[in-house]
Amino acid sequence: MVMKCEEMWLEISNYIDAEVSPALKGAMDQHLAGCRQCTAVLDGARNVVRLYGDEKAFVLPANFYPQLHSGLVDRVEGARGQGRAWILAIAAAILLTATVLVAGVRDRDTPQLRAAMARPATERIKGLVVAADDTKVFHVAGCGYIHGTPRTMPAEEAIREGFTPCVRCLRELVERSAWNSATMDNDVASKDPAMNLD
Amino acid sequence: MPETQPTRMKTGAKLSRAVDAESPAAPPSRETENALIQRILRGEKELFYQLVRPYERRVYVMAFAILRNEADAQDASQDALFKAFKYLPQFRSEARFSTWLIQVTLNEARMRLRKNHLEIMRPIDEVEQEDGSYTPRDFTDWREIPSEALERKQVRELLVQALASLAQKYREVFVLRDVQQLSTEEAAEVLGISPGAVKTRLLRARLMLRDFLAPGLDGAWASPSSPPKGTKPWS
Repeated sequence: MVMKCEEMWLEISNYIDAEVSPALKGAMDQHLAGCRQCTAVLDGARNVVRLYGDEKAFVLPANFYPQLHSGLVDRVEGARGQGRAWILAIAAAILLTATVLVAGVRDRDTPQLRAAMARPATERIKGLVVAADDTKVFHVAGCGYIHGTPRTMPAEEAIREGFTPCVRCLRELVERSAWNSATMDNDVASKDPAMNLD
Repeated sequence: MPETQPTRMKTGAKLSRAVDAESPAAPPSRETENALIQRILRGEKELFYQLVRPYERRVYVMAFAILRNEADAQDASQDALFKAFKYLPQFRSEARFSTWLIQVTLNEARMRLRKNHLEIMRPIDEVEQEDGSYTPRDFTDWREIPSEALERKQVRELLVQALASLAQKYREVFVLRDVQQLSTEEAAEVLGISPGAVKTRLLRARLMLRDFLAPGLDGAWASPSSPPKGTKPWS
């Protein structure tokens, strides 16, 4: 088999890599023996392969390994830290939610009242009150908001009859009621049967 | 947090020890490497440095061949190694780890190239039709160059310059086959092309490099930085 130079060049690379059939290799060897140009091309291509395959062909930059390693350690550690940060963030969110929920429950149990009058009654209103049938509201004597026919009666009776306290004089009602309790403790009630409402 | 500090310091010290050695270790056997990967995936993350240490140089050379710039290649090497760490669970053990790592590096370098819009500076012959034929332009006898010649900076620069002159598709194939020493099949897999295309591109790459280098490396060049006009296919 006689080969032309052009055919040789197509197979030069495979020849170098020993990826040609024995028959083709024989024909190429025969051609190379008589062709100085193709021998030059083959030698040159071989030199290229050998030179670039040598580790010394590429020199690493100064401090390549330390820089690469420190950067890599930082990033790998950072990636791990990110994982830990996620766990911490989730834990913090759970803790915060739990705190808010618990606080909400406690708030419902013991609401913070703004005014003394808004607080639930700790004792019943005692003493005499003035009730007006027209409005079904009872007042402290002298309240400027008494409308209709006034009728004096014990507070407990007024409540029993469905009267509600006047919001204008409620504070005074409560204060007087407290005073009544204190005087009853001092046995004043025994001297004034009208004040004993129990 | 006082409780976690000693643990972190301990891990840091372990990592430092793992990466202290500067010289690349010899690649382990495939079985050892696969076992190492399994341990890393199970949580022994510090072993990753041991896994990649034999290939760090190859990663840099791959990145440098594509990017043609030392600083970019260094950054790309670090990014590629970190991506390898991040995506290690996706590595299929049917392939060699080194081949997969080179593929990750190639992709990283290509991405960086696109980001920097460096592809607009590609050589003209990159857009030429690809076929198997190539006519050598230079028939100068090229005596064998001793390996010691590579210790000369001038010679190394010439090799880098010649490689940079190749179109990217030839450069990639040449680096994978003749620098990274991958087989034709492995190079084809990395590049996603047929083994036949790898052979064709490799032939052209070798002959073009030969044409570029032959007159210089046999001593005919007065100045290695500029090949004599008219002696190169593209000059």
